[in-house]
Amino acid sequence: MSSHREAPEISKDPVADSTDVYAFVSPDQPDTVTLVANYLPLQGPAGGPNFYEFGDDVLYEINVDNGGGGRADIIYQFRFQTLLRDPDTFLYNVGPIESLTSPNWNRRQVYTVTRVQDGKQQVLGSGLACPPCNIGPLSTPSYASLAGAAVHALPGGISVFAGQRAEGFYVDLGAIFDLGDLRPFEQLHAQYGLNVFTGPAPGVNATAALNVHSIALQVPISQLTRSSVTGEADPAAVIGVWTTASRQRVRLWDADNGEDVNCGPFRQVSRLGNPLFNEVLVPLGKKDLWNSLPPYDDKQFASYVTNPELAGLLPALYPGVFPNLAALVKSGAARADLEAILLTGIPAGIVPGFQNNTGSVLADMLRLNTAIPPSANPNELGIIGGDLAGFPNGRRVFDDVVTIELRAIAGATYPLVDSKYTPDAAAGEVTDGLTASSVPSGYLDQFPYLGVPYSGFSTPS
Amino acid sequence: MSDHSQAGPPADPAAAAAEPQRHLSRRSMLRGAGASAAGLAALAVAGPAVPALASASRPAAPAATGSRVAGGRTESVSQPLVVHLRDVQSGEMDVFAGTSHTRLRDPDLAARLARAAR
Repeated sequence: MSSHREAPEISKDPVADSTDVYAFVSPDQPDTVTLVANYLPLQGPAGGPNFYEFGDDVLYEINVDNGGGGRADIIYQFRFQTLLRDPDTFLYNVGPIESLTSPNWNRRQVYTVTRVQDGKQQVLGSGLACPPCNIGPLSTPSYASLAGAAVHALPGGISVFAGQRAEGFYVDLGAIFDLGDLRPFEQLHAQYGLNVFTGPAPGVNATAALNVHSIALQVPISQLTRSSVTGEADPAAVIGVWTTASRQRVRLWDADNGEDVNCGPFRQVSRLGNPLFNEVLVPLGKKDLWNSLPPYDDKQFASYVTNPELAGLLPALYPGVFPNLAALVKSGAARADLEAILLTGIPAGIVPGFQNNTGSVLADMLRLNTAIPPSANPNELGIIGGDLAGFPNGRRVFDDVVTIELRAIAGATYPLVDSKYTPDAAAGEVTDGLTASSVPSGYLDQFPYLGVPYSGFSTPS
Repeated sequence: MSDHSQAGPPADPAAAAAEPQRHLSRRSMLRGAGASAAGLAALAVAGPAVPALASASRPAAPAATGSRVAGGRTESVSQPLVVHLRDVQSGEMDVFAGTSHTRLRDPDLAARLARAAR
């Protein structure tokens, strides 16, 4: 998964588990950037009576680096508060929820958004209503418009939304974590002598019909860059984005009152920049550490990027399919292409008309060149598909990051730094067999872009 | 979902915030974690009752966390305070209150906490 349950500790703390982060120039508002941070992975839509909600005890943050050092120059903080109207019923709602102020809605959440820059805090909005979860036609009729009312306008031309959304990230989780099986090519898998697969099979989207909780902001570009931008070659056009979740250091179960007591400073327990970074590159013994650190400390993880374990596994799992990759791995050459894509950004002169380099500091961030306009004909393979507005130039909700990163690790991007290298033919074909069309909900063409969540009534668990 | 004319917080956020919520009752609880060298003590006290902490250097609190913590408690009413007694012999302890953390060294207090925990 992009970062769903990707580390041992955070897998036990879903409300703080950041699963995906997106950053892109808004296609319908191209003078703005949309930032989306997802939490609470793998929600079965029928998960009542205690439907999913953000953690009141979690500090959620979307961080923006516009100075290139892997440090947060601008932070958007989100704090939630759960309100219970009637503690004497077991019901989430006692009738149809037809508005965000419906008296039938028993358990709801409101939140505060604060912008922090140069140590100064500015509350942008408070008492902002989340929508309910999508329950079904009796409880949440007209869900799309109900959730639409939870898009709030903040000062400065900012829009914000926080609540349940359909999972937009697609991946064949079941196959990939079954020892690296890629169903479209599984007959080529070594199969450990078990001979289970005899032919190719279509990919299966493990996240289809599951929901997440999203925090989405749409912010004028001028509020995110460090100065006015002259064009795509201007270093000031590039921002780095990552999301975090933090908890207070002490959590004590107060059995007398039946609730947690939290106190002490907040400490980071979850982080996410580039998809699959902690999931696939960082080894198990360091995943929890990685989640606790800021991007500017990522130098210690650089070897897992420049010599990724998966690059060595692919030739072993698929004998004879990746001979050039096998030779590259055996040579011990550092993968400068992956370092550029994930840790520094791509410098000018590599991809014509593009750069998203933030300097020499090795830091895992989504790097978005805000001067690259949205594509009129988006390609979900992003830059390797010839679309400069897609991953790894930020990340759009529909980008096929699994295929992009699989192909990059398989060697498809190594010629960017070594023109003598010829990628294996398979490097340009490898995929888990899914596309954006594998997401049943589809996507919205406007903020917050992720689709209407699947309802508990209509979605089998 | 672009109809921002419908956007906005609940009609009366203040009223919404005043809806029935559970509040932590004021407690005078001292809890130790046994007679071992380290332990936790949790107390709920009013701010002025801990003048030593009030004067301690505190890190900046994240926005919107200083006046309210999970569960709707307000610091002016009752603030949880947790002491992690790291070492009885040296008296080294961490005191957590609100969003602050202070490390103290107080062998006498450590000894009293250890005795209370038995």
